[in-house]
Parts: sequence; C-alpha cells; structure tokens
Amino acid sequence: MYTRTNLAIIIAVTILSSIGLIMIFSTATTPIFLRQAIWLVVASCVAFIFSKISPRVWSSVAPFIFVGVVLLLFVLLLAHGLYPKRWFKFGAISLQPSEFAKLATILFLASFLSMRKRLKNFSHILPPLAIVAIPAFLVFIEPDLGASQIFFPILAIMLYWAGMPALKIFIFFSPIISAAASFNIYVWVAYFAALTIFLYFHKQLVDLVYGLISNFLAGLIMPLIWNSLKAYQQERIISFFSPLVDPRGMSWQIIQSKIAIGSGGIIGKGFLSGTQKKLEFLPERHTDFIFSCLGEEFGLIGITITTLIFIYLLYKMLILAKETKNRFASIFVSGVFAWIGYQTFLNMGMTMGLLPITGVPLPFISYGGSSLLACFMAIGICLAISKTKFKY
Amino acid sequence: MDEDTKKFKLIRNVILVTFLIIILSSVRLQIVEGKKYYRLSEKNRIRQRYIPAARGKILDRRGLEIANTRPGFYVSAIQSLIDENTLDEIAHILNINKKTIEEKLHMEKNPFMTVRIAHDIPYEQLSIIEENMDQLKGIEVGVEPLRNYPHEKLFCHLVGYVGEITYDEIAKSKDYKIDDYIGRMGLEEYYEDELKGANGVEYIEVDARGRELGKITEKRPVPAVAGKDLYTTIDLALTESVSVYLEDYDHAACVCLDPRNGEILVLYSKPGFDPNLFVHGLQKKEWETLYHRPDAPMYNRAIMSCYPCGSTFKPFVALAALDSKMITPKKSFAPCRGEHRLGRRVFKCWKRHGRLELVDAIIHSCDIYFYQLGVFIGVDTIVSRARETGFGRKTNIDLPGEKAGLLPDRTWFERHYGENWTLGHIFNLSVGQGDLLVTPLQLACAYTIFANDGKILQPHVVKRKEHNYHTTTISEEAIAIVEEGLRGVVLSGTGTLALVEDFDVCGKTGTVQNPHGEDHSLFVGYAPCSDPQVLVCVFVENAGHGGSVAAPITGKIIRAFMQLNKSMDYVHKD
Repeated sequence: MYTRTNLAIIIAVTILSSIGLIMIFSTATTPIFLRQAIWLVVASCVAFIFSKISPRVWSSVAPFIFVGVVLLLFVLLLAHGLYPKRWFKFGAISLQPSEFAKLATILFLASFLSMRKRLKNFSHILPPLAIVAIPAFLVFIEPDLGASQIFFPILAIMLYWAGMPALKIFIFFSPIISAAASFNIYVWVAYFAALTIFLYFHKQLVDLVYGLISNFLAGLIMPLIWNSLKAYQQERIISFFSPLVDPRGMSWQIIQSKIAIGSGGIIGKGFLSGTQKKLEFLPERHTDFIFSCLGEEFGLIGITITTLIFIYLLYKMLILAKETKNRFASIFVSGVFAWIGYQTFLNMGMTMGLLPITGVPLPFISYGGSSLLACFMAIGICLAISKTKFKY
Repeated sequence: MDEDTKKFKLIRNVILVTFLIIILSSVRLQIVEGKKYYRLSEKNRIRQRYIPAARGKILDRRGLEIANTRPGFYVSAIQSLIDENTLDEIAHILNINKKTIEEKLHMEKNPFMTVRIAHDIPYEQLSIIEENMDQLKGIEVGVEPLRNYPHEKLFCHLVGYVGEITYDEIAKSKDYKIDDYIGRMGLEEYYEDELKGANGVEYIEVDARGRELGKITEKRPVPAVAGKDLYTTIDLALTESVSVYLEDYDHAACVCLDPRNGEILVLYSKPGFDPNLFVHGLQKKEWETLYHRPDAPMYNRAIMSCYPCGSTFKPFVALAALDSKMITPKKSFAPCRGEHRLGRRVFKCWKRHGRLELVDAIIHSCDIYFYQLGVFIGVDTIVSRARETGFGRKTNIDLPGEKAGLLPDRTWFERHYGENWTLGHIFNLSVGQGDLLVTPLQLACAYTIFANDGKILQPHVVKRKEHNYHTTTISEEAIAIVEEGLRGVVLSGTGTLALVEDFDVCGKTGTVQNPHGEDHSLFVGYAPCSDPQVLVCVFVENAGHGGSVAAPITGKIIRAFMQLNKSMDYVHKD
C-alpha cells in the first residue's frame, strides 16, 4: 500500500517535470534548457537522499533550518547593488532563498503545531502566525509580493489540518477580505453588513467582537497600505481589475496570455509552433507564463492532462497526510500539499486571467532551479514519510 | 479519525472545485472563444501594409510628360508601438507639430497598421532617422511613388495638384485610406478615378516588438495597380511659348483650341503656384496664405474668371441682325461722331468713325453703330442668337469648377432693374459691356462658329475619338459676312498687330471697361481663315486696349503654332 502511494507521487512528479522540460525546450534557448536539465538531475538526487532520511530527524532540526533560512533572507536584504533582492548569485548559479523559506517554514510550522494539541481560540493562532510573518515580511520587502502572500494560505490549511476549526480560521483571516473590499465603499459596506449578520447568528461573543473590530480596522487601514506599495505592484492589481485601461502595460500580459491559450484550441498549434510564444508576444515565456505556452502549443488536451496530473499528485499527497499516523509528518505533508496546490492554482488562474498577475512559478514546470529544488526536497521528505507512515 | 475524514473530504472537494474551474475556463478560452483568440493571435503577428499605387501620368498631345511620378521617402508610424518619447523625437527630427502626427495616427482605427506621417523627406532627415532607428520604436521609412510636376507653375491650373486626403473625404468614400493622396482641381480632380489606380496590400509577419520577420506565404498579397495614363490634347511647347509671351503681365489667361474638333491646346492662367508644394503636405498656414492671396494664384482665370467681353461680342450682335434678316450688310445708321446721347447720358465711341456699313463697323469696332443696331434688332434677337452660340452656359469642358458666365435677357433685366430698365442696358449689351459676363474659354468656343460654319464645338482636354458639337440655326451667309469683317479687323482694322506673315488671321479685339483701373485687353483670333487650325483667345487684365496688347500676343501665338507644326511631326487625327 505505501509503496503504491510512493510510486504514484514519483510518477506524477516525473511526468510534470518532463512536461516542464519539454516546454522549456520550446520556450527558451538551449543553454537555459540544459541548465534546467542539470537542475532536475541535482534535484532528483537531493530528493532521493531526503527520502532516505527519517522524518524524525526533520522534526528535530526544523527550528534550526528555519532560523538559518530567515538569516539568509536577512543577509540577502543587506546585500548591496541588487534590485529586486531576490537572488543569491554564486557565479553561474543563482539561488532564490524565498523558495527554500517556504519549505523551511512548513517544516518548522509542522514541528510547532504537532506539539500543540489544543487549537481552539484566536490566541492559538498568533504564535504560528508570528512564525509565518517573519519570512513573509522579509520576502515582501525584497520585494516579492507574489512569493510573500503564499505563506498565509499554507498557514491556514496547516492550522485546519492540525485541528483548528475552519470557521475560526475564516473569521481570523476575514480582515483580508475586508481590506480587499475597501477599494469600493459600497462593496465594503455590503460585505461588512453580511459579516455582522453572520456573526450575530453565530452567537460567539469573542468571534463577534474580534470579527467586527478587525474587519473595520482593515477597511480603514488598507488605503494607507495601498499607498506604500510599489508602483508596479499597484499596477498589477489595477490591471487585473480593469485589463482594458492600459493594453500595453501589465494587462498586456494578461491579454496576450489569454490569446495564447485561446488560440491553441483543442489540439493546439503543435510543439514549437506557438506564434504568440515564438514572436515574443507572451512575456515571461519559460517562467511565469509557461502554462500559456503549453495551452498554445498543446491546446485543451495539454492543459487538461497537465491539470489532471496535478490533481492526482495533490490527491495522493492528501491521502498520505490523512493516513500518516505521526502528527508532525501529517501536518508537514498538508503544508506541502497547500504550497504546491495553491501555487499551481495561482499560476494557472493568472495565465487565464482569473487571478491577478502575482509572478509565482508553476511547480515542477516553470524554469527556475530554486523552485525545482525546493519542491523536490519537499517531495523527498514526503516520500520518506510515505515509507514509514505505519511505523509510528 | 472521524474528524480526519471530514477534513480530508472538505479539502479534497476544494481541490476538485478549484481545478475544475481551471479546466472549465480553459474550455471557455479554447473552445467557446477559441476562434476569437485565434483571430487575435493572427492579428498580432500579421501586419497589413499598403503598397501605394503609382498615379497615372498626364501626357501632352505628343506624349511629353506634364505630370509623372518620382520616388520619395516617407516616414510611417505604428500606433500600437510608438511611445511618447519617440513621438517627441520624430516630431523634432521632421520639424513638424507633434499634434499633427497624433491626429493622423488617431485617424487609423487599426492600431497595428502603419500610418505615413511624413512624405518626401529630405536626405538629411532620412539619415538622422536611420541612425537612430534603434530608439525610434514603431517608426519605419520607405519609398513610395510621389506625384511630380516637372513644369511646375506652367500647368498648375489645368492639371491641378494632389494633396493628402482629409478625414471627411475618407468618410465619404471607402476607396481611400488615411495616407492616400487625392486629386484636387483640374485634371487631377476630374479624372481622379482613372488616375489613382488601386493600392495593393502585403502581409508581413511581425514579432511583439514590431520587427518585421518577412512576408507571410499563407496569405496572398494584392499587388498595386498603377493608375491609367491620361493622354491630353495639350501642346506643351505652345503653352511654354504662351507663358513667355505673357511674361510681362501679372494677370492673364489664354485659351488655344483646335476649332475643328474642340481639342484644347493651351489653357493657361496667370498667376500660378507650384503644385509640387502640395506633395510634401502643406501646413495649414501655408495653404491659407496661398489660397487667400489677393491675386488669387489658385484661381483658373481661363474657366472661372467672368468678365464682360467687350467688342468681341459685336460679331455675335451682327450675326443676330443678319440671321434675323432684319438688316442687310448695307444697313447703316446715323454717322458716328464720337458720342451718342441718350437722354442725359452720353455714350462714347473710341473714335469718330462717320457713316459705316456693318462690315466696316466690325472692322473698326464702332460702338455708335452697334448701339443703334442693338436697339434696332432688340434685346431678344441678340440674346436668342447669343445663347445659341454658348453664352451664359457652361461649355462642359472636362475640368472641374467651370463658371457659366451671364447672358442678361429681358427677364433678367426686369428682375434686376425693374420695369424701367432703359435703352442704355441694350447699348451696353450690344458692345459687350455692362452685365454680360463671359469666361475666356466660353468666348473661344463661341468663335468656333466662324471657323466651323455654324457648328459650336465642345472643348475637351483629354483625347477622344468622337468630338461633341452642337449645330446652330444661324445661316451660313450671315456667318460668311461677319467672317469677312473679322478678316478685315486684322488686315486693316483694330487688330492689325495680330497680323502674321504668310497667314491670313481672322479675329476681333476687345477692350473691357474696368471701373477699378486700367481696361482689360482682349483678343480672339483664328488662322488660317480659309481652313482654321487654331483658335486663340488672349485675355490680359489691366493692360489697356485689345488691339495694342492682346492682339500682338495672339499673333505671336499663332506664329508659334504654325512653326511648331511645321517643324514637329504634327499628327492630327481627324
């Protein structure tokens, strides 16, 4: 039984990485393709090694890894001359610490939450939130808005998996909705009224007080935060909500990406023949928008197959999380699941114009050594957990 | 464990729903809207470019070029690619207003289409643009056929000019697009449909930065079709001679035609303008100064200017009198004593002629005789015959903007002067002064009646196989008698300066009274009398007597015509 789960994950990841390699070959130059191939070999080796390490070890070293990565992020911010401060460069190799920060945070969070049995009140959310907030903030000021916001859905799902009621988590994070709604006063008023009615019938005084105060404040403070955002970040958000305002700017990317996918039709334009890709109408072809190229060259068939493989992988990981008896291991797997699932959805939704452009890579497929390595490390640990899940 | 299953199911369902959304939106993009996005992707990569058609040439009767085309460099821009900096820079290089460029770009609805923003740029500007091509996003240069007028002013009114099309004109006709030229005035306007040809289209694959990658093979290009050449009856050499003879005068017009078939040989008007100026695209200010200049250089005096025609009208009064059989050629009236009293008003003659008969009255252009003749035969007789010879209506020459002039008749006089219009008005009409208005072309055509024994020819500029004319009812005897007078004018009368050795010239002088200054000098003549080959009408403003200015010029023109046809192989197709 466990070997089958193991095998399923390995096969899914192998296929996804192969699709990634094929698409990078189509969208980028040969040196970039070779580089990714080398990264893939390295990442596979690392995953293999990690799968041999007992999960117990990770549980004990998690705090140290977390502190190490946080320090790494600090060092990156202190570096001179770089902008944006996202990469460490060692000669030909560049590493993106924010990718590893996700993994380290999941590890540490899993280890932290596994020690807490009682997760009922808002106060129980605050320590894990603080853990997540540190790397998220450091990544945010790199600046990398896309990568920093990924930490919070991961936290929410891990909390839920660790036993926190879903409603509590929702009410806790509801100020984010309030902040988003604050761009339009009518929407915000409607949201706030609905929330008030809901909380009244919910009949929990703490929830009511916290919910109303926090949402009200979020709606007030949001405009201030908005003004502190960088121009390109504002642009991204604006262009998402009104893509026709500036057809050559950020929304140009959304439009061109939709054209690329849409023009692919059912069977696509064929491998290497995407005109949107070839003639550079598509931005970020081998990184953020690689999924659009896939849609253009392999059509609906390509997109459906790829999406189904992702669903399969995520489903297998969810089963693994459920069946693993060890609390740390189970919460860790749920974190990796949240990370890959959320990031995949975000990237795909972005290329289809469903979500704003956040600049997150598609796991296993987009070009980028750090992202690939971090994902493979997580998969390696999952494999180790899968092997040992009944022994705990 | 139960709790775990609940959580598992919830998260599983969330995953299924979210990725179902992804697949469904992919279905929407690729199947429901797939065709639309495919079109958009094709539109992205395919740029249409118009290949401008060369305009047809305009040739003179011997095949010499009056208007042709030459290559010129243009600058074009693509709205979707150009940015603010480039716009500033290109406006600076070309030294034109940035707004003008923006206006032109906004006229094109397709932002991926190239729009020409400047034509015929000089080498210096071209080299600056080529040097800075990397910084100038969305700017292209190329070669296009441009209209060229090698003789500049000489044919400006006859041929007209081409100018850039306006927005209103595009709205009216689907055949044009923004950077097209359209013919204005003259032959360019009248024969626009034949001259313009049809633009071609080619399809070019471009990348996202607008770089051209080459022609697309799947879509067949449409080649440009050059406009038809226009073969005219104009005599270039004779026109050049005319312009030389009229060099000393500021405002003048001359029409020469072949009285046998109505072919226009010369249609010349002064002052003129250089039609080449319009090819660059005149700035609005320049155009307005040109158009509103007091001497009206854009006005074709030969077909638009309406003057009284003075004594050149007298032969038509004589014709009316003879044709109506109200007089015989022997008829004489009270002798000319230099003036004629009508109540308190005194009508003068330019000389004391004494007693004259009709033919002599024409030869010496006696006003007193014609005052009395006019009153004797009555205004209706004069007007009916004059109308037949073409006064007061357009000749329908193949040129735009022709004026009809004015032939005042009984009802006209009554409308304008009331019931009590006087004999004085008939006096004036009889000698071609006062309210009568004639264009030089009209007058020339009227005189074809003498050269053709009663036929009035319709003038035309472009060669035709068939010549239109209308036959008048005026009797041939009457015409013969008046023609005798016209011959006498040149032999012994007021027009002796038009005399040409070896040829007998017929003609009539005219002096148009001008209350604002010097009289206008006018002469209409044709030669040879027996078999007329050329008919010349010369009109010189503010130059004095017809016999002293216009007549000698006519003589020179006829001489030049005869010499030209002797020396050159003059082929006339009958």
